[in-house]
Amino acid sequence: MKMNLQKIAMGLGLSIALVACSKDEETIVVPVSAITVKDLAADTVTGLGLDGRPQSAGTTTYYSLVDNKVIASTDAASTKWDIAFSSTKILINGGTSGPGIGSAFVYVGLFDALKTIPADSNFKTDNANAASFAIPLGSGKAWYTYDGLTTLVSPIAGRVLVIRTATGKFAKIEILNYYKGGVTLPATASVNDKLFKQRYYTFRYAYQPNGAKTF
Amino acid sequence: MKKPPYIIIFLTLLQSGILSAQSRFVKDTIDASGDSVVVTATRTERKLNNLTVPVTIINAKTIQQNGSLRLTDILKEQTGLNLTSGFGAGIQLQGLNPDYTIILINGEPLVGRTAGVLDLNRIALGNIKKIEIVKGPSSSLYGSEAMAGVINIITDASMGAPLTIGLRYGTYNTVDANLETKLNTKNFQYQGFINSYNTDGYSIRPNSNSRVTTPIDRYSTTQQIKWELSNKTNFVLNTRYTNERIQNEIAVANNGVTIYSIGKENIKDVNVSATLNHRFSKTLKTSLRTYTTTYDAVQNLLTINGLPYRDVLNHNFKRIENQTDWELNKKLQAIFGAGAVWEGVKSSRYDSEKLRKQNDIQFAFTQWEWKPSEKLTLIGGLRFDQNTQFASAYSPKLSMLYTLNPQHQFRFSIGQGFKAPDFRQLFLDFTNAAAGSYSVFGSAQAQQVIARLDALGQIGNLFPNYYLLKALKPEYSNGMHFTWDWKINPSSSLSVQLFRNDIKNLIESQQVGTYITGAQIYSYLNIGRAFTTGFELEGKHIINSNWSLNGGYQYLRTGDKDQIADIKSGTVYTKNSQGYSRLMKLNEYVGLPNTSKHKLQVKINYNSPKGYYLNLRAIYRSKWAVNNNNGNEVFDNGDVFASGYVAINSAAGKSFKNGVSIQGGIDNISNYIDATNLPNLPGRTFYTSIKYQLQKINNNK
Repeated sequence: MKMNLQKIAMGLGLSIALVACSKDEETIVVPVSAITVKDLAADTVTGLGLDGRPQSAGTTTYYSLVDNKVIASTDAASTKWDIAFSSTKILINGGTSGPGIGSAFVYVGLFDALKTIPADSNFKTDNANAASFAIPLGSGKAWYTYDGLTTLVSPIAGRVLVIRTATGKFAKIEILNYYKGGVTLPATASVNDKLFKQRYYTFRYAYQPNGAKTF
Repeated sequence: MKKPPYIIIFLTLLQSGILSAQSRFVKDTIDASGDSVVVTATRTERKLNNLTVPVTIINAKTIQQNGSLRLTDILKEQTGLNLTSGFGAGIQLQGLNPDYTIILINGEPLVGRTAGVLDLNRIALGNIKKIEIVKGPSSSLYGSEAMAGVINIITDASMGAPLTIGLRYGTYNTVDANLETKLNTKNFQYQGFINSYNTDGYSIRPNSNSRVTTPIDRYSTTQQIKWELSNKTNFVLNTRYTNERIQNEIAVANNGVTIYSIGKENIKDVNVSATLNHRFSKTLKTSLRTYTTTYDAVQNLLTINGLPYRDVLNHNFKRIENQTDWELNKKLQAIFGAGAVWEGVKSSRYDSEKLRKQNDIQFAFTQWEWKPSEKLTLIGGLRFDQNTQFASAYSPKLSMLYTLNPQHQFRFSIGQGFKAPDFRQLFLDFTNAAAGSYSVFGSAQAQQVIARLDALGQIGNLFPNYYLLKALKPEYSNGMHFTWDWKINPSSSLSVQLFRNDIKNLIESQQVGTYITGAQIYSYLNIGRAFTTGFELEGKHIINSNWSLNGGYQYLRTGDKDQIADIKSGTVYTKNSQGYSRLMKLNEYVGLPNTSKHKLQVKINYNSPKGYYLNLRAIYRSKWAVNNNNGNEVFDNGDVFASGYVAINSAAGKSFKNGVSIQGGIDNISNYIDATNLPNLPGRTFYTSIKYQLQKINNNK
């Protein structure tokens, strides 16, 4: 039922938040709709190395949350992109990652429940020199866990990436899946499936173009 | 058959010569009725009917007729017990992990646990008289590890056939050969047992890391001497030696590139115990026991294009203890005991494999048994353990038996059990260079090590947990067991048991800081709280003089109390099938991983007076959670489960009058395979065996 409502809301370009808030709140909220991006390839695997680890070309996929599209890597040194993906690593356009003023933090809670970014939120910028990233790297750190036994990456439930874009606007992201087609692989999936179906991001996001910290 | 056991043939010839001097032979029988004598529950000999705590006895006939070779084979067919895999085959008792059940051989503990698991495949069943399983905390008598219960394997010290030879052959070239000799004079009894077990192993998964699937050569021998020094004093010496070699050649092919590696493992396990028993009078006796055991394991992994990997573990345990039994009057009996333990471990996973880490324990215990009337027995016990490496532990226990009438008996027990922090939790010094260079430091030295690293400028952050690091406390469990035994009629009986265990101070690894590089640093803290609860039903029915039926069922619920509190407070999330997060509901919580809600086993038995027998055993275990796939670390309906399954085993055989007996059997008839979750369960296997028991030579004493 909740899902159906959401679909209808998305279809009309209205968020449930608007419907819910308009009843008891005076402030006018500009409607932002959630967009789902499917199967965004992020340095997909080319084979298995002799060390037993997946091999890949080491590419990064740049994405514009403003325009909802992939940005060519030739524009990596521009503010055209907001967020970039390379295997499980997520970069934000700012600090050592790009010329933008982007930053981010990981919010613990539900995507729909995050209507206003808390005033005391600690936005961080990427600093590759200190191995410190706005979206921290590693299993259990930010948005995923890696299970050494099943060799599967699972997004952590209840994690929202709150992003300040390259140009200083705000967006929120929930990573839904890391495997092709948005389908979670079973623990018993073949080695080939685990290898070649990974690094395809499915995520949903909401972007607030007016610069407000509300969604 | 790879290696004919020549040594056994030689010893057979040698010993059969000696044995012509046989003096007497008494046929040993154990009945499964209430008259069976149990030693584990009270550390004194008590009839099963008079015990105040729930005990299961598995006798030699059941072990033999089921075709069980290793301890795991027979335990997995018991109510309330489940086999676990990973670091060898361990046993889960009433939902508690293998760490929490103490395994004894003739009352002395086995050591050599890997990640808390004692591999029960190490124990051959050839010369076992019986296995006693006590459910519920028993630390009041046995100290650490006896939190969920006690499994005591009692070898056959009775006078019996002077010579028994057994040979078994089965699928995967599995050869099991046994030789048992017994030599008895008026004051002297000797029993010797040799077992050789060789298997090619099986690979239900090509690059499985489970060692049960690997080729194994395993030899074990036990020797027992009992010497009656006088009619009041005797001396018992027990020795056991096991040597196990595993070699596994692994070839992993990927995209036309094959990586070869060779894994070699050698495990040696030695146990020696000497006991002097003396009876001062009809009401006073004492025993002095000394015990020493060493477990030594060496693993080597050679990969064609990688660094060789070597892992060494050497664990020794020495104990001396005295126990005195005093019968004050017909209604009141007391036990007093005290002793000391010296325990040490050397491992390549500690700071130096040459340095032995040591823990000394001094302990004392007492138990009082009061029988105010024929119908009521009350037992109270208390034990105190003092350790050099961690906090001391008191273990009290109270239990009672009320016999309403010969048909109905009620038992109730309440007690506290504990498990001492193990050496790994105290002393581990391990950095995983292969996966992110994270480190794990045992709690006993984590603060020192980290402070030293900090002085070198290698530490990035220290978490609040770092400042909480202190001497680990033992993990505690409070257990309650209530049992109702109902003898419905001479051929049927039913037993109902309710149980609950509340565990606190669970030791868990926690991140305490980071390196300057961001790599994690972990140590161990007492943080977890959990429970296991449920009920067990066991029934027996004798259909007629040939056929009988028995079965058992366990219903089990488990949970992590902190996780339940988090779910209730609305801070635990889960994901729906589209990947959208939502709050998790309490009714979605499935409890602790690797625990199944239902376990059922049924056995049909046929025995004919002519020595034929047949049995069919079915074991069902319902699904259990194995992996978390939504990162919330809480197991819910959406996580990864191993499917429930049924395994059916059958064996049949005949015993002839001339001492020869033959047996054939099929295990896992339906060929159920789950390589990921049940690496210890091969597909369908067949076996056949022959046994010869030399009959008494001179029986007219």
